[in-house]
Amino acid sequence: MGDESVPYLLGEGTTKTYQIPISHLDYKFIEKCTDVKHLEKILRVLRSGEEGCYPELTLACEKRIECLDPRSRALRKEKPAATASDFTAEEWEAINSELMGWLTEMNEDDKKSQLLRTDTLNERQDNLPPIRCSSSCLPTSQNKKLQNKQRSKKNIPRDYSEWDKFDVEKECSKIDEDGEESNSKARFSSRTSLPMIEKKIDTTGMTKREKIFIATREKEKGNEAFATGDYLEAVTYYTRSISVIPTAAVYNNKALAEIKLQDWDNALQDCEKVLDMEPGNIKALMRRATVHSHLQNYQAAIEDLNNVLSVEPENSRAKKSLLEIEEKLKGLKPISEPQGKGKKILIEEIEDAESGEGKGEDTEECERHGGDTTPAAPAAARAAAGEPAMGNAHRKSHGKGKAHDRDAHKHRDCAESGAEKGAPEKKAEKHLSDHEGEVNGYLRSDEKSESAEAEIKSRGEGSRSAAGDSSTSLPPTAAKLKSEGNELFKSGQFGEAVLKYSEAIEYVTGLGEQNPDDLSILYSNRAACYLKEGNCSDCIQDCNRALELQPFSLKPLLRRAMANESMERYRQAYIDYKTVLQIDSSIQAANDSANRITKTLIDQDGPSWREKLPPIPVVPVAAQIHRWDGGALTSEKPSTIDISREEQLQMNREEAMEKFKRLKNEGNDLVKMGEYEEAANKYSECMKLNPEEYTVYTNRALCYLKLYKYEEAKRDCDHVLQIEDSNIKAFYRRALAYKGLQNYQASVDDFNKVLLIDPNVLEAQKELEEVTQLLHLDSSAGDGSQQMQGKKITIQEVTEPDGQEERHVAAEEAVPKQVPRRSPEKLRVSAPSNAYDFGQIVNAVNATKDKAACADLLTITEPKRLPVLLSNKLEGEILLVFIQSLEHYVAGKDPGLAYQHLFYLSKAERFKVVVALLSKNEKEEVQQLFDLLSESQSDQYSLEDLESLRKVYEL
Amino acid sequence: MSAAAGLERPQVVSHVQQALSYTVFDCKWVPRSARLLCLGSAARGTGLVQLYELHGARLELLREIEKPKPIKCGTFGATSLQQRYLATGDFDGNLNIWNLEAPEIPVYSVKGHKEIINSIDGVGGLGIGEGAPEIVTGSRDGTVKVWDPRQNDTPVANMEPVQGESKRDCWTVAFGNAYNQEERVVCAGYDNGDIKLFDLKTMSLRWETNIKNGVCSVEFDRKDINMNKLVATSLEGKFHVFDMRTQHPTKGFASVSEKAQKSTIWQVRHLPQNRDIFMTSGGSGSLHLWKYEYPAQRSKKDSEGSEMGVAGSISLLQNVTLSTQPISSLDWSPDKKGLCVCGAFDQTVRVLIVTKLNKI
Repeated sequence: MGDESVPYLLGEGTTKTYQIPISHLDYKFIEKCTDVKHLEKILRVLRSGEEGCYPELTLACEKRIECLDPRSRALRKEKPAATASDFTAEEWEAINSELMGWLTEMNEDDKKSQLLRTDTLNERQDNLPPIRCSSSCLPTSQNKKLQNKQRSKKNIPRDYSEWDKFDVEKECSKIDEDGEESNSKARFSSRTSLPMIEKKIDTTGMTKREKIFIATREKEKGNEAFATGDYLEAVTYYTRSISVIPTAAVYNNKALAEIKLQDWDNALQDCEKVLDMEPGNIKALMRRATVHSHLQNYQAAIEDLNNVLSVEPENSRAKKSLLEIEEKLKGLKPISEPQGKGKKILIEEIEDAESGEGKGEDTEECERHGGDTTPAAPAAARAAAGEPAMGNAHRKSHGKGKAHDRDAHKHRDCAESGAEKGAPEKKAEKHLSDHEGEVNGYLRSDEKSESAEAEIKSRGEGSRSAAGDSSTSLPPTAAKLKSEGNELFKSGQFGEAVLKYSEAIEYVTGLGEQNPDDLSILYSNRAACYLKEGNCSDCIQDCNRALELQPFSLKPLLRRAMANESMERYRQAYIDYKTVLQIDSSIQAANDSANRITKTLIDQDGPSWREKLPPIPVVPVAAQIHRWDGGALTSEKPSTIDISREEQLQMNREEAMEKFKRLKNEGNDLVKMGEYEEAANKYSECMKLNPEEYTVYTNRALCYLKLYKYEEAKRDCDHVLQIEDSNIKAFYRRALAYKGLQNYQASVDDFNKVLLIDPNVLEAQKELEEVTQLLHLDSSAGDGSQQMQGKKITIQEVTEPDGQEERHVAAEEAVPKQVPRRSPEKLRVSAPSNAYDFGQIVNAVNATKDKAACADLLTITEPKRLPVLLSNKLEGEILLVFIQSLEHYVAGKDPGLAYQHLFYLSKAERFKVVVALLSKNEKEEVQQLFDLLSESQSDQYSLEDLESLRKVYEL
Repeated sequence: MSAAAGLERPQVVSHVQQALSYTVFDCKWVPRSARLLCLGSAARGTGLVQLYELHGARLELLREIEKPKPIKCGTFGATSLQQRYLATGDFDGNLNIWNLEAPEIPVYSVKGHKEIINSIDGVGGLGIGEGAPEIVTGSRDGTVKVWDPRQNDTPVANMEPVQGESKRDCWTVAFGNAYNQEERVVCAGYDNGDIKLFDLKTMSLRWETNIKNGVCSVEFDRKDINMNKLVATSLEGKFHVFDMRTQHPTKGFASVSEKAQKSTIWQVRHLPQNRDIFMTSGGSGSLHLWKYEYPAQRSKKDSEGSEMGVAGSISLLQNVTLSTQPISSLDWSPDKKGLCVCGAFDQTVRVLIVTKLNKI
C-alpha cells in the first residue's frame, strides 16, 4: 500500500528523464493508460529508480504493457541461461540423453570415417568446376566513381570516439522510421534471370553419411521454401533430396507442394510412391484423396479417406473432406446416372460409409447375397474395407449407372462381364490415373499405384530396373526400352508400351544371357498392358512365361488371375488367387477375389465345386514371405521347386535370422535416438522374419506409446501376453496404452498385474495412482455419453463432439480392421468358404480367446450362413466368444450386424442345448450384449425383434 | 510472461563452460563431429588453435597448435566433408589452410592482405553451395578477396576501392546465392556502415546500402539457395534483415530492423537447419534468438509497376545473458540442431543447447 500512496501524494512535478507528470506513476493511471509508448517511458523511469524504488508498481506496469503489446521491447529483460531447474526432470533428462546419443553416434562415425578415408577425394575434385578465370579483376571499380558522388551526400560516418557518447535509446526509437529511408539510398544493378537450380546432385564418391546429410539439408531447404510459399522452389529441392536418397517423407512433402501448385499428376505419382514405401501412410492417403478429388475421381478419394479413417477414426480433416467429396458426388451423380434410383442409393451409401468404417467386408458379403433387398452399400462397404482396386472397374460402371451391385452381377451375368471387357478403353479416356490403379489394384488398394512404378518398386530390392539406377542387370538397350515402356504405360498408351516391352524381350532373349528376373519382369509388364487392353489370352500367356522364369512371383500370378477371371475361367483364377494368398496372405484384393469366385463356382458347380478344381500348387516356404522381403525372393535363381525347396528353406532361415538381429539392433538404436517411428518400422520388419520373438513386440509397443499410437501398442502387448502371460513389460506398456486410450479400468487392472509380479516398480505405482484418479473423474463424467455409443458415430462427431467414452469406442473400431493388416502373423482371418474352414478358424480363435480375431471372422462372415458354417459344432465356449466379440467389437459400430449374427446363431444346430447349459455369468454376458443392442439404434431390427430374440436366448 | 508460454519457448542452456588462457576470437564446430575449434591469440602475441571434443558435460582438449600470428577467424566452408581442412585468417593478413591432422605446415598459404584479416567465409565445400570451393577474406586494408584453394598466390577476385578513395575497414564478409555453378555473391560490411553486394558471376557491384553504423557481421540465411535473406548487425545494437528475393531498381531490398541490446551485436548466425531462425551475440554478453516471419506477400508492385520487396517481421524467441564481456563469436553445430558454441572476451568458450527449436 505504501508503494501506491507515496507517488500519488508527491503527485506534483515531472520526472527527470521524460518529463512525465509524477501523478502518472500510479496504479490507476497505469491501469487505464493505453499508450504503450507512454507506459514504456513510465516503466523506464520506474526501473531506473530515479523517483524511488517501487517493485510492485513496476511489475504492474510491466503487466499492463504486456497485455497491450506482448512484443514490446521494454519487456525484454536480461536473463541468465536456463539450467536444470527450468525444466522438468524428464525434459532435462531428454535434453541430456539426446545430446549423449548424438555424441556417441558422432564418435562411432568418427572411427568409421577414419577407416574409410577414401581415394575418392581426387576423383571428386576432378568434378569441380574450373577456377574462376577472372585474373583478379577489380569488379567494383566502374561503380566506384558513381559511388563517390553518392558518398558526398551521405552522412559522414561516426568517429570511433563518438561511439562513447552514443545514445542507444534515442537511436533505437528511430528504427521504425528510418528503415525504409536507409534503403532508398541503396543502388540497383542488373537483375538476374530466373534461378536455374540443378535438379540432381552429383553424389559420386560420397559416403552414406554424407548423402544422408545432404539429402536432409535439401529437404530442409524444401521445407523452408514451402513455408514461404515458394512451392516451385520447394519441389526443386525435394527433387534434389530425392535424387540423393529417396525417402517417403520427402516424396510426401513434394506431393503436398505439387498439390499447392495444382500439379495433380505429379502429386498423385508422389503419393503413390510414398504408399509404395509405406503402405498406410496417413498423410499420403489424405493427399492422394485430395488429388483424386480434384481429378474428380471421387470414389478413389472416398476410398483413401476411408482408409485414413480406418486407422485414425478421429481424423477430423478426413471426415470433413469425406463429407465434402460426398457432397460433390451427390451433386454429380444425377447427371451421370440417369436412373431415378441413383440418388437414393447414394444417400444410403454415405450413411453407411460413415457408420461402418472397417466393417466393409461384411457388408459387402451381405450385399452379394441379399443384393436385391439392400442395394445400399456396395461402394461404401468396399471403400471402408480397403477396397481392392479390382473393384474400381466395377465402381466405374456403377458411376455410369450400369449396376450398383457390381460383384454379384458380374459373375452371375455374362452380358455384364462382356461389357466389362470393353470398359477399360472408355475409362482410359476419362480418368487416366484411376485406370492405372485398376490393374495394379491387386496389391491392396492403398498401395494402388501406377503399375509400372509399382512393378519396379516392389521388385526393386532384388533387381532394380529401368527407373531405378545402376544396379539393374538389364543391358542398357533393354533397360531403356523398358523404361520407355513404363513411361508409355503410365501415360496410358498400352499398345505402344506392349511394342516397347516386346522389343526389350526380344533383345534380352536374343542376347541369350540368363537373367530370368528381368525377363520375367518384362513379361509381367507386358502382361499388365495386355490386361489393360482387354487382351486376356495374351496376358495369360505372358504371365505363364514370367512364371516359368520366376515361379511364384506375385504380379504375374495376380495378373493371370485377373485375366482368367475376366475370361470367366474361374477355376484357374481361383487357383491363382489362392497361390497368391499362400505367398502373401495380406493381399486383400486376392482375398476378396477368391471369395467372390468361390461364390460363383458354388453357383456354377454346386456344393462339390472343389472337386472340379485343378490342384492348387504348394508354394515353397521360401516364397511364402511377405512382399517386403521380396528381395530375397526374387534374387534366388529359379529352379525346380521340389529340388531346391529344402535348400531355399535353409537359406531363408539363416538369412532371416541374421536380418532379424540386424533389424532389431537398428531398431534399438533408433529408439535410443528417439526416432520411434522408424524404430517401429524396423521392429515390424523383424516380426515378419520371426513372429515368435516377443521382445520385438514389447519394443515396438514402446515405440507406439511414444508415438501416441495406443491402439497398436495395446495390440503388440496383447500379442506378447498371449505368448508369455507374465511379461511385466508388456503389462506395463499395455497399461500405458490403455491409459492413452482412456480405458482407465483396463489400465488400472494392468498396473495391478505389474505390481503383482513385481511390487517394486515405482513407475507403475505412480501411474496407477494417476490412472485411478482419472478413472474416478471419467466415471463421473462418462455416464451421459454412454447412450451415444451405438449411433452412427462419424456424422455426429462432426457436429457435436461427445464425451470421452464415445471417442474411446471410435478408437476401438479400428481394431478389427487393423488386425489382419498390421500383424499378419497373428491369427489371420480369411473368409471361410465352408464349415471346415470356419471350424478351424473358430477353434483357433477359441484357443487364444482372441476376440478381435473372432470379431473379424464374424465381420466377414455372413450372418445368414452361420447355421451352415457352424453345422453341429456349436458349443458353450464358442457361443461365449462370439457373444463377447460381438459385444466388444461389433455391436458398437454395427448393431445391425450384431443382431443379425445373434439371430442366425439361434438358428444353428445345438443352439437350444448350449443356451440351456449357459452359466449365470455367461447369461449375464449375453444380457449385456442385448442391453447394448437395445440402446443402439439400427434400421435392421426393431425393439420388438430384439425382445423376441431375447426370449429365444432364454433371458 | 505466463509460465506456460515461457515453457513452450526455446530455452538456452549453458551446457559446458570452458575457461581459456588466451583471447578467443572465433570458435567453430568441426563438421560431422562433436569437436570444436577455438581460434585466438595467446598472451605472448602468438596465434592459437585449440581442438576440443565434447565429452558429456565437459570439453576435452585434444590438440593445441601454436602459430606465429594471432588468428582472427576461420572457416570450414570450402573444404569437403571428408577432408575438413580449416581455413584461417590472421593478424598479419595471411590466409592459411590447415590439415588439422598434420598442422605443422599449411596445405595452402598466401599473404592475402596487408593488414589483419577480419573475416573469412567459405562456400562450395561441405556440400553447401554449388560450384567451385572458394574462400573470401575481408581485411582492414579495405579489400575483399576471393580465393580458390586450387590457385596459389593470387585471388580469383579482388574487390578494392579505387585509387584515391579512402579505405574502409572491412569487418565482415559472407557468401551467398550459390544455388548453381555460376551464381555466387559476396556480401561485405564495412566500418562506416556500408554494405556491398558483389556479384561474382557478372563481376559487378550488385547493390549497396549504408546502415549508418559499422557493420559487424553479415550472413545470408543460407548460402546455397537463391538468395533469400541477409542479416546485417551493427555496432550500436541494431540489426537489419533484408529480403533479398526482390530487388527494386531504386529502393533495393526491403528490410526490417530490430534492436537487440544496448551494445554492439558482434555476430549473427542462422540456424543451419532452419533459415528463419538466427541468433545474435552481443557486446553485453548476451545472446538473442530471433525468428523472421514472412509477410503475406513478399513482393508488390510500386506505382511504376516494378516489383519491390516487402519486409516481414522479427520476433524474439529467447534471450540470455551469459557474461559481462562481449560474445565475439558464435557457431551452430551443422550436425546437431540446437547445439551451439560461443566464445566471449572473458576468455571463456561455452557450449550451449537451445531446446525446442523443432516446435517453432
